Amino acid sequence: MIAQNSIPIANPVVVLREEFDDWAILFNPDTAAAVGINPTGVAVWKLMDGRRSLGEIVGRMQDQFARVPETVFQEVSAYVATLTEGGFVGYELQEAG
Amino acid sequence: MPSPGETDGRPAARVMRSPRSVDIEITARCNLRCRYCYFFDNPAVTYADLPTGEWLAFFEELGRLGVMTVTLAGGEPFMRRDLPTLIEGIVRNRMRFTLLSNGGLIDDDIAGLIARTRRCDYVQVSVDGSRPETHDACRGHGSFEGAMRGIRTLQRHGVNVAVRVTVHRYNLGDLEQTARFLLEELGLAGFSTNSAGYLGSCRLNGDGVQLNTADRQQAMVTLLRLAEKYPGRISAEAGPLAEARHWRRMEEARASGEPAFSNGGRLTACGCPDSTLAVRADGSIIPCSMLAHVALGRINRDALGQVWQHSPALNRLRQRRTIALEEFEFCAGCPYIPYCTGNCPGLAYTLTGQVDHPSPDACLWHYLADGGQLV
Repeated sequence: MIAQNSIPIANPVVVLREEFDDWAILFNPDTAAAVGINPTGVAVWKLMDGRRSLGEIVGRMQDQFARVPETVFQEVSAYVATLTEGGFVGYELQEAG
Repeated sequence: MPSPGETDGRPAARVMRSPRSVDIEITARCNLRCRYCYFFDNPAVTYADLPTGEWLAFFEELGRLGVMTVTLAGGEPFMRRDLPTLIEGIVRNRMRFTLLSNGGLIDDDIAGLIARTRRCDYVQVSVDGSRPETHDACRGHGSFEGAMRGIRTLQRHGVNVAVRVTVHRYNLGDLEQTARFLLEELGLAGFSTNSAGYLGSCRLNGDGVQLNTADRQQAMVTLLRLAEKYPGRISAEAGPLAEARHWRRMEEARASGEPAFSNGGRLTACGCPDSTLAVRADGSIIPCSMLAHVALGRINRDALGQVWQHSPALNRLRQRRTIALEEFEFCAGCPYIPYCTGNCPGLAYTLTGQVDHPSPDACLWHYLADGGQLV
């Protein structure tokens, strides 16, 4: 699981294509990889601006949405991990020491 | 209640916010004059090129809209000396690209540039035969050599090469050798096929170039045999191989009394307006290169997103799928209606003068009436 204080950054080359209603496709033109995401996924994507930690992103989700499940951190964490594996998301490098 | 061709201009179904891909005729110039070219000799088209800056501004708009892929065709896209700048504009705006070419103008410099972008899905080169006599018959002297040079240059730089074989009267007897040459000698993973269609220059040269019913049957037999010999390596979305496969399925369905296909019985064949737009070399926005007369707007003057969502002509085209084949006299008495999609609207237009009409070109019932047999 990704640490709460890690800061995910949306890969700037990735295109968010909002298609129908609030559903969207993330498209990485460097790899041609594409993934469909639901409205919650879109909201998380837009919060991954390199300034917020994963914990803060989850906090914003809890503020923005009604009836957020208790497992929200695990679900967002798993989603971000999947995007990371696909090259859609990276992380701020921490300086050693 | 709208009748065929009299829709109210609203989309029949939900439309995505912008097209996923855009086909661009980046130039109206070509180093060849192929006898069956769909692009030239279209009386509805103004053959003029736009300056580099116009295309770069348009690519920025495409990037903002989240368009994923552009296809650069022509004419011959490698005629443009500013092609490297145009490709850089596509890459800068976070898109991938494809090029359609005759291969003859591809050199190491441009092939290397394409490879370095890592954004090119493929360059498609037209190859119509295994030797100059068959390839050059419709494409002109020296064009086979140019195509081979282009393919080998692309391969040398690691660019993905796709080949399209257009079947016509002069290469019908060379299909077997063409498949062997492309797949075994050139080592391509596969190739696609279609046939010379009644569009553009082919309307002027059709009698000598297009397949007649007997030719079409021969092409279907040969291509089905080759597709079996090279499994998964010969593809077709139109032309004899596609027809052979689809018509066989239609006949099986008719003979066993199957229910109608989910897309059968209406003009459903064309899905382009759901995901793609096209732009002519003069900047006119059109639904598709096969419908070049349907001008929807102009780039850098009309917002593409607005055209995509709200153009009455485009939305009428989207509603085409609601038109029942039973309404056409052309289809009266046809037993294949429940399994038929009406085929390409572009060919329907050039052959009948109506977009909202089934295309006679790929009509199984008329093929059989002309003495053709299913294979």
